Amino acid sequence: MTLGPFFPREFAQGANDLTVLEGRKAPGEPIEVSGRITQLDGRPLDNVVVEIWQADSRGRYDAPDFCGWGRTATDARGVYRFRTVKPAAVEGRLPHINFLLLYSGLMRQLQTVMFFELGADPVLDAVPAARRERLVAKRVTGGYHFDIRLRGEDETPFYDD
Amino acid sequence: MLPHRDPATQPEGVVAGYAQTASRWPAEPLVRRPQTRTELGAPAPHRRLAPARGDLAGHGAKRAAGQLIHLRARVVDEDGAPVAGALVEVWHCNAAGKYIHPNDTNDAPADPHFYGAARLVAGDSGLVELRTIKPGAYPVPDTRGWWRPPHIHFSVWGRVWLSRLVTQMFFPGEPLNETDYILNAIRDPAARSRSLARLMPTERGPANALVYEYQLVVRGRGATPSLP
Repeated sequence: MTLGPFFPREFAQGANDLTVLEGRKAPGEPIEVSGRITQLDGRPLDNVVVEIWQADSRGRYDAPDFCGWGRTATDARGVYRFRTVKPAAVEGRLPHINFLLLYSGLMRQLQTVMFFELGADPVLDAVPAARRERLVAKRVTGGYHFDIRLRGEDETPFYDD
Repeated sequence: MLPHRDPATQPEGVVAGYAQTASRWPAEPLVRRPQTRTELGAPAPHRRLAPARGDLAGHGAKRAAGQLIHLRARVVDEDGAPVAGALVEVWHCNAAGKYIHPNDTNDAPADPHFYGAARLVAGDSGLVELRTIKPGAYPVPDTRGWWRPPHIHFSVWGRVWLSRLVTQMFFPGEPLNETDYILNAIRDPAARSRSLARLMPTERGPANALVYEYQLVVRGRGATPSLP
């Protein structure tokens, strides 16, 4: 049974393709980033609001042809999907995409970060070594897969904001 | 460098009485991370999201049912400075306690003249204003008599990625405020009081609407608590 937030459907629509902005195509490698969001018992969650924030393929934030911010919501199978470009490494950080989740039963927003590979990165290194792998997306045809487990077995590491 | 959010200003993650929280809030402690350019970067969501509906109450034959209210919400940063141009999303149920959302199973009537969602842009003083109707209370399904008090949802962007604030505004003096599991998940009474709007003297507003003022403090010691 669902309790709020009854986040309006329209708010979660139309902002999940970051590859085109005001008719301009973002430079770089277009990728699809998708994944499934599940709770303690493994059940996929419908209508989780997912926001992302990332650099573009040249390491610029909020560039004229790439705003770096996007939003979508999971479908009935718990799946979210973004079209974006692979971000560049910026100032000592590995390439990464910031995630923010909003959902009923989440008293506060949850923040996590998707990486493309393991390596030296101060934000990845802040996570206990045994759990770092959990933040690395899987390469799939056309993009990357990043599943998020809110709680329980193989729980995704989340950051204090 | 932004100071970390003070736990005293925030709700508990797992709330007794709100069953879903125990399946969804992480069991592992949240990880503290250094703040680099990305966490302190400034997303510009208004490049993707257009403003929508500045008035939810309507007029004449198309007036929504319910008590007319005029909301004045001010977005300020951790230093108390107004966040000019901040994007603010607002949503709430109708006067009978029904949301426009398809997932709302509450057996209450929809209002053909009410669409409970707006997206506003703050002016130079950080102010957004919304003419709407006071939302109703509603029962939470599958609980023993938990009713949500009237409340209005807000989603706001501060200056940087870490300043995102999503919360609920409550009305002062509502008896259901005392028993609401969500509002009372904020333990600190001072922080909890910041989730309440203030009713302004009636002679200061439009003759037919009650004026409520509210502050959205995105972070800091006096932060408005996050709520789902």
